[in-house]
Amino acid sequence: MSANPLATVLFVDDEERILRSLKMLFRGRYNVLTTSSGSEAVAIVQRQPVHVIVSDQRMPEMLGVEVLRRVRDASPQTMRLLLTGYSDLQAIVASVNEGEIFRFIEKPWDPGYLHDVVEQAAQIALQEFALPRVPPPALVAGSPVLSLPRTGAKLLVLDEDSATWRLVRELVPETLEVLHAGNVEQALQILGEHEITLVIAELRHQKDDIPGTLKILKSFNPHVLTIVVTLLRDSRSLIELINQGQIYRFLPKPISRELLRRSIAAALEHYLQLRNTPILLKRHVVEASKADSGSLSSRLLDYWRRVRDNARTRA
Amino acid sequence: MSSVVSLFPIPPVIAAAAAAPTHATDDIRHLIKPTAALQPELSVNAVGEALSRPEYSGLLSLPIVDGDGMPVGSISRFELMVRVFMRPYGRELHGRRPIATLMNTQPLIIAADTTVDAASRFIAENIRQPISDDFIVVDGDGKYLGMGVVLDVLGAMAGRLTQQASDLELANRNLRSSQSQLIQSEKMASLGQMVAGLAHEINTPLGYVKNNVEMTRGIVADAQLLLGSYQQVVDAMLAPTPPPAPIFEALVQQLEQQRASCDADTLQDLRSLLDDTVFGVAQIGDLVGNLKDFSRLDKARVEQVDLHKLIESALKIGGNLLRKKNVEIERRFGEIPEVECSPAQINQVLLNLITNAAQAIEHDHGKIVLRTQQVGKHVFLLVEDNGRGIPTEVLPRIFDPFFTTKPIGQGTGLGLSICYQIMQDHRGHIRATSVPGQGTRFLIALPQRAAAEQAQASES
Repeated sequence: MSANPLATVLFVDDEERILRSLKMLFRGRYNVLTTSSGSEAVAIVQRQPVHVIVSDQRMPEMLGVEVLRRVRDASPQTMRLLLTGYSDLQAIVASVNEGEIFRFIEKPWDPGYLHDVVEQAAQIALQEFALPRVPPPALVAGSPVLSLPRTGAKLLVLDEDSATWRLVRELVPETLEVLHAGNVEQALQILGEHEITLVIAELRHQKDDIPGTLKILKSFNPHVLTIVVTLLRDSRSLIELINQGQIYRFLPKPISRELLRRSIAAALEHYLQLRNTPILLKRHVVEASKADSGSLSSRLLDYWRRVRDNARTRA
Repeated sequence: MSSVVSLFPIPPVIAAAAAAPTHATDDIRHLIKPTAALQPELSVNAVGEALSRPEYSGLLSLPIVDGDGMPVGSISRFELMVRVFMRPYGRELHGRRPIATLMNTQPLIIAADTTVDAASRFIAENIRQPISDDFIVVDGDGKYLGMGVVLDVLGAMAGRLTQQASDLELANRNLRSSQSQLIQSEKMASLGQMVAGLAHEINTPLGYVKNNVEMTRGIVADAQLLLGSYQQVVDAMLAPTPPPAPIFEALVQQLEQQRASCDADTLQDLRSLLDDTVFGVAQIGDLVGNLKDFSRLDKARVEQVDLHKLIESALKIGGNLLRKKNVEIERRFGEIPEVECSPAQINQVLLNLITNAAQAIEHDHGKIVLRTQQVGKHVFLLVEDNGRGIPTEVLPRIFDPFFTTKPIGQGTGLGLSICYQIMQDHRGHIRATSVPGQGTRFLIALPQRAAAEQAQASES
């Protein structure tokens, strides 16, 4: 690749006018490709390097999430974004779990914002494409799962209901430590004292702002992966959790054991990948959360830092 | 005389205990006419005289009460006339005998706290024909209180019937208005779902319209700069004293740079962006217009309507769901005349049938066939889906109010019953046939005319 290559950005939408409009917006900045067909999009990605794909969700031939899932298999380095006017929960959940998307953007979009997000994705992808290819963790069942390498991984379950913790404890091998926090205060305490690999959290809490905590956690520590298991069915907060919290999996309650087991396995494998290839961490860059200055005060963050520093001094 | 009386058969008496509990105004107390009773020993002649006294003039019969105040019989004007005074020698034969020998020993006796309803029923069952008696009113112990006039009871009954009729009328009116509210709220509930879908539908055109307008703004700004640079160059060339060469060259260079950012191609693109924008805005207007049609409150207004237009409108409103389910719509429209109907109501029916059809489809090769056809003086519409179908045991109940197979919170169970109601109001028909696993077919038939007054009447 040349020193300053032009990133290739592929737009997929069944509405030609959207494609024309987007093409015009990004003309000159990238090598812009467009198609109104999902399968054509997958074919393009298989044929040539595509740094960023931005797909519509609802298309007659193939759903956007499906397109992104196939693109992920064909070219894991390609940054995947969903641009949709239909923010139904199903699509959002699938975009997290199957598409592992970078951003979920709603129509009508703000041109300036879209421009920034695509640019950020393009920069990350340009760096990654320069690296040797890494296979993505398998999503299918029966993958070589919980015979995990000795990662010394520690899991934190943040849920008032300890049943979630018990279930996780049951699902993962004895060698993995699984800690339980009933509120944010306890969670911060644990995060300060242990190097947590994976947080499994319920969004609903009687008094604490869990989504806000997860967002801040991710912005401070991109290594930590998050699996959300929740009763909450709110598309708005979920979209925010994708864009500002980069949650790794979303599992609606009641929890399916198998789904949770598979998700934990995939997360742990992904964690190893991140450790081995730190550049991948950039994929988990989050947007600034509006909650930063709000409900979750810097007081809590200070507390967390202090506790961690203490732990380090002790160590 | 009590021994004589005791020989008589027991007269029909309606006792307090037999009557339903009553309100003060409901019983016959207010109908009592205080009337001096006659003794059983009184002679027939004396009774004859008494009958002509003004105090008894309003009564068909007079009460006969013993010394203990217990009524023992009654004597009617009619009987006295027929059996005594109009008979040859009647007065001579009976005149001096006690009235007890002639009296009706089974007079109508009614307790004072009997309801008007019960009293009138009792009278109707026991009175002699032709009507020649009034009735005796007694207290709880069976003691004589006064007389009651049969005609008064009838009058009271008539009053009550009028009252009941107007109560009934009021109840009927309330029922109609709550039914109409129910239809409206069902419509609003389905509208709520539709609005969410429609908002999404609007987001696509809104997406590119917004983007295009923002870009246009940028291009116009570039064009403005370019025009300014041209102007500067032209001014410099035309000035009486041309600027020094380096300055002029700088101006030209600036112009060159700006030409790169706003060339003929850009302006050509701008035109097509604006075309798209106009199209998108029209599409948004169209979607919003359909929504307005659907939510119209002047729902009873009857118009000559092209059913095909209503179908298209319902398809647009339901478009989100159809797209979500990836359902193919096949139109097999025939030649049909305009129908006289309430478009907003028929819209509701169409939308309901189309969304039901789409919801019944659980696979990805869903198809809804819409067929129209004129048959005699009716216009037929067939809505056929290839969804899961309706189980045979469920089919007869689908038009019942509140019957639903959807999970709680997903359907009111009113949709189809309201469709049924609306079709009834239009003097039309709605029928369903279904093969489980293969699909369901709804048929609606609308009369070309005559639906008008009916639909309107049901709203007023």
